[in-house]
Formats: sequence, C-alpha cells, structure tokens
Amino acid sequence: MADITPDSLKDERSFLDRILPRWNVWQWLFVTVCVILCLWVLLPIYLLVLSAFSPRDAVFAWPKAFLPTDISTDTIAFFFGVRGVLSAFLNSVLVAALTMIISIGLGAPAGYALARFRFRGKDSFRLMIVMTRAFPIAILALPLTVTFIKLGLYDTVFGVALVHSALALPFAVLISSSLFMGIPFELEEAAWTMGCTRAQAFWRVVMPIATPGLAAAAIFAFVISWNEVFAATILTLQQPTLTAFLLTTLSESPLYFRFAGGFFLVVPALIFIFAVRKYLFSMWGIANR
Amino acid sequence: MNAIVKTGLSAAAVSALLLSGLPATAETIFLSTQARPIEEAEAMRNEVLGQYDGEVDYIPQEDGPFLNRILAEAEAGKVSVGLLGALHGNFPVLASADALEPIDDVLSGLGDRKLIGTFVELGKLGTGKQHYVPWMQASYVMAANRQALQYLPEGADVMALTYDQLAQWAANVSAATGERKLGFPAGRKGLMHRFFQGYLYPSFTDSVVTEYRSDKAVAMWASFKEMWKHVNPRSTSYDFMQEPLMADEVWIAFDHTARLMDAFNRRPDDFIAFPAPAGPEGRGFMPVVAGLAIPANAPDRAAAVKLIDYMTRPETQIETLKAIGFFPAVEMDLPDDLPRGVQIAGAAVSAQAASADANPSLLPVGLGDKGREFNKVFLDTFQLIVIRGADIDKTLDRQAGNLRKLMEETGAPCWAPDEPSSGACPVK
Repeated sequence: MADITPDSLKDERSFLDRILPRWNVWQWLFVTVCVILCLWVLLPIYLLVLSAFSPRDAVFAWPKAFLPTDISTDTIAFFFGVRGVLSAFLNSVLVAALTMIISIGLGAPAGYALARFRFRGKDSFRLMIVMTRAFPIAILALPLTVTFIKLGLYDTVFGVALVHSALALPFAVLISSSLFMGIPFELEEAAWTMGCTRAQAFWRVVMPIATPGLAAAAIFAFVISWNEVFAATILTLQQPTLTAFLLTTLSESPLYFRFAGGFFLVVPALIFIFAVRKYLFSMWGIANR
Repeated sequence: MNAIVKTGLSAAAVSALLLSGLPATAETIFLSTQARPIEEAEAMRNEVLGQYDGEVDYIPQEDGPFLNRILAEAEAGKVSVGLLGALHGNFPVLASADALEPIDDVLSGLGDRKLIGTFVELGKLGTGKQHYVPWMQASYVMAANRQALQYLPEGADVMALTYDQLAQWAANVSAATGERKLGFPAGRKGLMHRFFQGYLYPSFTDSVVTEYRSDKAVAMWASFKEMWKHVNPRSTSYDFMQEPLMADEVWIAFDHTARLMDAFNRRPDDFIAFPAPAGPEGRGFMPVVAGLAIPANAPDRAAAVKLIDYMTRPETQIETLKAIGFFPAVEMDLPDDLPRGVQIAGAAVSAQAASADANPSLLPVGLGDKGREFNKVFLDTFQLIVIRGADIDKTLDRQAGNLRKLMEETGAPCWAPDEPSSGACPVK
C-alpha cells in the first residue's frame, strides 16, 4: 500500500468534485427539473427577444446565431412609428385595468357569498358561473356587435372591458370563493366579539389575508383581457386594443415583424407580472422580499 | 389597500372620460381586407393615402371580422364605415344582405379611367347594378431560386413550362440535393385552393366545375400526386411562400404575387418569377380582383366617392403597386422606375396572360356566401387524394356529389373556362 500523503489525497478528488456542490441524487434531480422548467419558459422568450433585435435577414439565416452579435433596432423602431400603436397600447392597458376592477369588484363579493352563506340554488349558481364560458364568442359575434352598436358601447374601451369581464368573472368568483373558504370564519367572529362591525371585521381581518389571492385573481383577469383578440377585434373599429391591432396583421406579416410584434406584446405582460410578483409569492408562501 | 382603490378609481375616471369623449371626426373610415401585413398597411396609410386631400383612417381587417362588422352595422342601421375595399369574393355576401350601395353613378363619373372591362362586369356581381368599382388586381405565378435553374430538364424553357417539365425539374432538384424543394402554400391561411380552381383544373380539363370528376381529372390528380413526391412535406404549413423561399427551404414555389413580393424585393438577384405551367388544355391562370364599394347608408357618401375617384387615378394605382404589389385595374403603361420585386413579378404576370396557350379562368361568380364551401371541396379532395392517398375515382365521385349539391343550392351558372350554362352549372 502506498503512503498516504496530503498530495495523493488531493488527487482523489476530481476537478468536478471540487466545483460541484455535494448533493444526493434527489437534489440533483430536483435542480435539473428546475433548470429544464426555467429553460422551457425562458428560452423561447430569449429567442424572441434575440430575433426581434436582429437585422431582418438574420431571421432567415441558418444556423441561428445564439448570441447577440449583430444588434439592430430597425424592426422594433418600426413598431413605435406605426400610426395607432401607442393609442392601441393605452386602450389595452385601460381595458385590462377596467376588466380587473369589474371582475374583482363583482367576483370577490360573489365569492364571499358562496363561501360564507348558505342559500337555495347555491350549487346550480356555481355551475351557472362556469356555463358563461360554454358559449364560444364566435357564435355570438353578430348579435353581440349589433347590440353593442344599438347601446352605443361599440368601439369603446368600456364595451370591450365589459365583454372581457364576462370572460374573467367565472375565474374571479371561483378563485375568490375558495380563497374565502380557506380563511376561518372564527377569525371574523373573534373580531366581532372585540367590537368590530361586520364590515370592519371583513376589512381589517379578512381582507389582509385575502389580498394576495385576490391579486392573483386580478392578474388572471388582466392576462385574459390582455390576450383576448376576437371580441376586441369585432367590437372595436378605431379604438382597438393592442392585441386586436397587432395580432391579426402580424400573423400575415413577414417573420421578422412577427418576432418584433411578439416582443412588443409579451413585454408589457411580463412587466406587469413582475410588478405584482410579491403578491403572487406571498400567496405561494414564499417570504416577502 | 387604499393605493389599490385609488388607482382603480382613477383608472375608472380616465375611462369614463374616454367613453364620453369619443371623437366624432369627419374622417372617412376605409375598411379593407387587403394590405393587412403591418408594413403594407403602413405603406397604404403613408404612401398611397398620404397624398389624398382629406382625412382617411385606413383599417385593414381579416375577412371574418370585416364581414361581421359590415353586416352588424347594416342590421343596426348605424353605419360608421365609409368605404370598403375587398376581394371580389367578399362582396356577394354583403350584396345579398343589402349592405352595399349601388354605385352606377360613381362608375359613370370615372368615364375616362379605362377600367378593365371584365373587372367592371365582375363588379356587377351578376346583377343589373354596379356593386363595386375595380380597385386593383394580382395573379398567381411561380417563383424559383436561381440555384434551381441548373436542374431544369433538357429543352425546357422556364418561361413556358409544362406540368410534366415542372415535375421532372422538381425530381432533378431532389435527386441532386437530396431535399424536396418544390413548395405550395397549402397551410391554413395559404391560397392552395386557387391553384386547383384557376391553374390545375383549367390546364388539364379546360373546366373547373363541369369536368370535376372526368377521366381527365382522374389523370390530373394521379399526376399531381406523383409530383407531390418531390414537394416539400412542410408545404401543408406554408401560408406565404416568400418565407420558405427566403429560408432556402424551397427553391420552386407557386403563390400569389403579393405573397412572393418580399422575396423578390429583398433578394432580387436570387429569385426569378415565371408563368404557371401549362397542361394538355393550355396554361390555366386566374386573375385576382379587388374592388371598392360603399356600404348602404354610409355616413358620407360624397367623401367615399371622392376617395374612389382618388384610388382609381393612374398615379395612385402606381403608388398602390409600389406599396403593396397589386397591379392596376385600369389599362395603362407601367413606368420603368418600379421596385425590383414589382418588375420581376410584373414580367411573369404579363408573360402568363400573354402566352400563346393562355387559358384564363375567372373567379367563381354567383356562389354568394358559399365561396368557402366551394374552396373546401377542392381542398378536401386534395387532402384525401394527395396527402392521405385515398382512391382517386371514389374520392372524386363523392366530392362531385358535394360540388353538385353546392352548385344547385346556389344556382350559380358556369364561368370561364366552363361553357356558359342557363341554370346552375352542371357537374358531369
């Protein structure tokens, strides 16, 4: 047997052993899955951004450059120059904000009622809510447009927000009802015994606990509204939302415009979700940082 | 929490403002199913309509929402759109719903314009009244990468190919490169049905409807199925052939001129355009016609008439050609300073129309709102026979039944190249 010297000991640990953390198989598996999931989401966005900022011919080149060696803002700059893009962007934000307000404003009380009170027809009411999603808008297109024209809601931001709220409401009601069900009724009762009115108890005890969940429901409403194309297209003419304005023309535009347009549509949604991430994280039980 | 409420309230206030302050502008809304791609729409706004003396809001829209909107506005009796621009095939639905204003007086006011006669006739939609004024035209041609030219079969002239030579050419290319480099726009938004209606059927059977299931048609499908062996299998996902051409996935392609234009414009030295091939019954080809119409009860008819007058002027027609690659609907000489892409495509379009064996076929007339179903008959037959390998005779028998039912339902008489019929166009 050879003598054990500090030198030979060092050699037994390979290079990889020295730089990699000492995890067991399950930890490795966990990390691998995390990495794959992140790539799953981030890689397409990365390629989208890369292509959006590439010169037009590079989009068709093969093999694709994976690093941003050749940056060009031509295509993106074109978008800012297109007449109507900025007002469409503003319309989209307004519609999404209104949709959030309406669907949470109506959905949260409805969810609270479903969670706290017992009333006749509660179960069928629950079913009816989901039923609103059962009718494809495409079938309703013509009568909906005619009605909106007659009511004067046609081509208005509010009109589109109403339709989007109708689409988002079922989710808002169901999410908030399960949210309120998860908050013990005893907490409210305790607040009453300490002198709170019903409203005060709701506002000071239930709401702070429910806020992250409601925020999540609001984000959901925002995303539904932001992504909705069909109703926004048929119900607007001169006041389109960004998706209605861009998406129909993009699907027929050359590839480089599709990348730039995709970037243009994705970024605001990403920024919004980034801005409200603390509510999302706290709902998932991750500490507020 | 208060902050959220405040933001909510201010957003509501802003939107209330938006709602009450809707602009009641005097601008003419020009709703169109053409020039939809974002760059073309911008070119329409800036280059074509930029010189117009008046306010125009050019809004491009897909066929579905376009029709839905016009029908809804007509039904509600409150029309906001001033002028419509669409393909020939979109107008019959609107005319049958009484959503179009007759514009015979507008047409006679354009007397000195030399609008192409056949197109003016098409604009009557088979009725006694003028429903649209021809706006612009296009056609379908073939495009090829110059690298493919070396594989042309012996003795073949690319400007006067036959379908057999095209098949041989594609076979030579795939033998030499190991890749199937012939391409067709058979994707969801592609215009493959026009290839069958205006090119393949007329070239092989001198008919579109009558000889749908004739022996000639059986032979035609068999040879097309044979040719498909050298067609890029991704063709079923191609909508615009300019993209696979520019990506070098495809070397030889068939498509609408406007859907090839980007390739011609961006790499004019790499691509050529040439007429569609000829079959036993001649060189079948189909013009595409877009027209301008005024919706019934339009807010400002005079403004719309003025805009039609502007759009059909020769100088505007040239601007339109430069901007979106559609050719004039008036008889005129084209200037020499056109963009390269337009020159390339234009040469092929006129060579195609002027070829000795030309066999022009018109767009379907009189199908009303059944145009889509008519297209579906051809696309389904293609799917069944070529993609899924179904028996040709049986498939044609069954599909001929569908076609016959459709023709009898609409009562549409035959159009060129079929012989004129007194009643509904018969399917033999």
